[in-house]
Amino acid sequence: MTTVTAAPATIPLTRPRAPARPSRPAAWATLARRRISLSAHTPREILAPLATPLLFALVIAPALAKIIQAAGGGGADYSTFVIVGTVGLLIPLTCTFAGIGVIVDRATGARRELLTAPIPRALIVLGNMAVAIGVSLLQVGVLMAAGWLRGSHFHATASGVAWFTGAVLAFTVFMYGLAEILANRIPTQEEYVGLTPVVAILPWFIAGALFPISALPVWLAWVARALPTTHVLALLRYGVLDRTGAGLHDIWGMTSTTTDAALSLLVLAGWAILITAAAIRVFTRSAVN
Amino acid sequence: MSARLHTVSDDTRPAVEIHGLGKTYPGGVEAVRGIDFQVAPGEVFGLLGPNGAGKSTTIGMLTTTIEPTSGSARLAGFDVVRHPIAARAVSSVVFQESVLDKALTGRRNLDLHARLWGIQPSAAASKITELAGVFGLSEVIGRPVDSYSGGQRRRLEIARALVSEPRVLFLDEPTVGLDTRIRYELLDLISGLRGRTGMTTLLTTHYLDEAERLCDRVAVMHQGAIVAMDRPAALLARLGSELVELRVSKDPDGALAAMRAHGLAAGDAFAIGSTLTIPLGSHSARDTITAIASLGIDTEAMTTRKPTLDDVYLQLTGSRLAALSTTRHQGEPR
Repeated sequence: MTTVTAAPATIPLTRPRAPARPSRPAAWATLARRRISLSAHTPREILAPLATPLLFALVIAPALAKIIQAAGGGGADYSTFVIVGTVGLLIPLTCTFAGIGVIVDRATGARRELLTAPIPRALIVLGNMAVAIGVSLLQVGVLMAAGWLRGSHFHATASGVAWFTGAVLAFTVFMYGLAEILANRIPTQEEYVGLTPVVAILPWFIAGALFPISALPVWLAWVARALPTTHVLALLRYGVLDRTGAGLHDIWGMTSTTTDAALSLLVLAGWAILITAAAIRVFTRSAVN
Repeated sequence: MSARLHTVSDDTRPAVEIHGLGKTYPGGVEAVRGIDFQVAPGEVFGLLGPNGAGKSTTIGMLTTTIEPTSGSARLAGFDVVRHPIAARAVSSVVFQESVLDKALTGRRNLDLHARLWGIQPSAAASKITELAGVFGLSEVIGRPVDSYSGGQRRRLEIARALVSEPRVLFLDEPTVGLDTRIRYELLDLISGLRGRTGMTTLLTTHYLDEAERLCDRVAVMHQGAIVAMDRPAALLARLGSELVELRVSKDPDGALAAMRAHGLAAGDAFAIGSTLTIPLGSHSARDTITAIASLGIDTEAMTTRKPTLDDVYLQLTGSRLAALSTTRHQGEPR
């Protein structure tokens, strides 16, 4: 049985206020500032991902270089080779740690409040991503500076730094998008953390971080060529270490190194766009259950 | 910088309009079954029912966090499916659970809301200061929310919802989980909102005294449907001015049938567990009690009292869930 009555007639009308909403850039900046504030309260998000790569750069890479030098190889160059390769570990760790923030937001934070804000929900993902990019750039800077202080020699030219930066940006966007997808699909923080080695560390071992992919078995080298990490490492080294582009040549085998680099950057950008679109879709779908 | 929405809603139309709104979750669970109602601007409207009645799903659809599977809903004229951003711009929500950035200060939480709702920073700052005063948060507003008590957090969330001066305020079980003292303080605050802002409030609760105290009208939800909708006083009037409540030691249905057979109970009497509730109608309490006693029913306790919305709800639904909800509620002062 449903009894319906008219609404009371004596209730006053609401105070007229035309609905407002922030501009998209303003909303995006607000969301990014929020994420920065939250990250500043949990410095482990920034420091923990840096610890392992710094250990590699300052301790393990020089130690490996000594062994190689003793065996008659190019020890100092190998140390720099590994330090640049360590960027391919640092960015995935930073982004997967940032993904924990997404889970915390969902479980105990203000995500539901954000979902009821008069803004496109994609901005929530993009605001977090902006901070992940900023943190990654900062950490890569710290890692490279630490390597330089430890005696690494980088060959930085304007175009080389541009390739390096472009690769870092595209790879960070890709990795953050992946972290966002996983954080929205995986129900608990424990399960998410359990996946971190698979997502952040495993690809790094076969992507040419410690040795060229040409040293891998043929079938594994083809697997490596499909990984974004392989492309980013080759581009990073092409940018600041090896202008002959040996890593890029191992992937593409073309005669023009610039073409090789452009193709690898294109692959990274493609992955970044694809995964970001998927991340936004997964987030908005999980937000509206 | 804020941008005005292109379509400005009409202030004279209902603040909330719902037609045939339904939600069936994957797997076939029908949480809301085609409900209809309208809420006038400035009205305080309550959705009553126990857990699982469909109240929160209804709020979720109105706040665009749950996608309806049928029907339509408008907030201040904006369709929640076709114009979700505009619908969100005219509303605010206080959620059942605490939804705050706990590492940030209270002021920062309020400021974030203001910015995301397009309030100019200078206006936001003065509004936040004003609301902090009204809600008794001035001394703690600069502290991280981590350090707030449960009551302070809830007050902060209500203050946050008001920063953007919403046309429609959703309060989803706003006092659930709070201790009795804080709950009554909050009820005072919520009750004070209507005179102060004139905004429309849609409140869900399973504490029926809250609805009786705060709402102009209430809709009783049961298993996803609205089973009654009226002013609280009109709903109470269904049960007359007084009723007899008795607890029997065995066979409550048999006892109820016996009373009906002797004209002591009408169709509006009902049994929940071992408790029988008998609206008196035109009978006197003394005569009815005497007559019941003469039937030889094994009675453990018998009392007369005024009807409450609890009785209305139980009469309408007769569900075990309602019984559980009422049992939990009985320990609190009225």
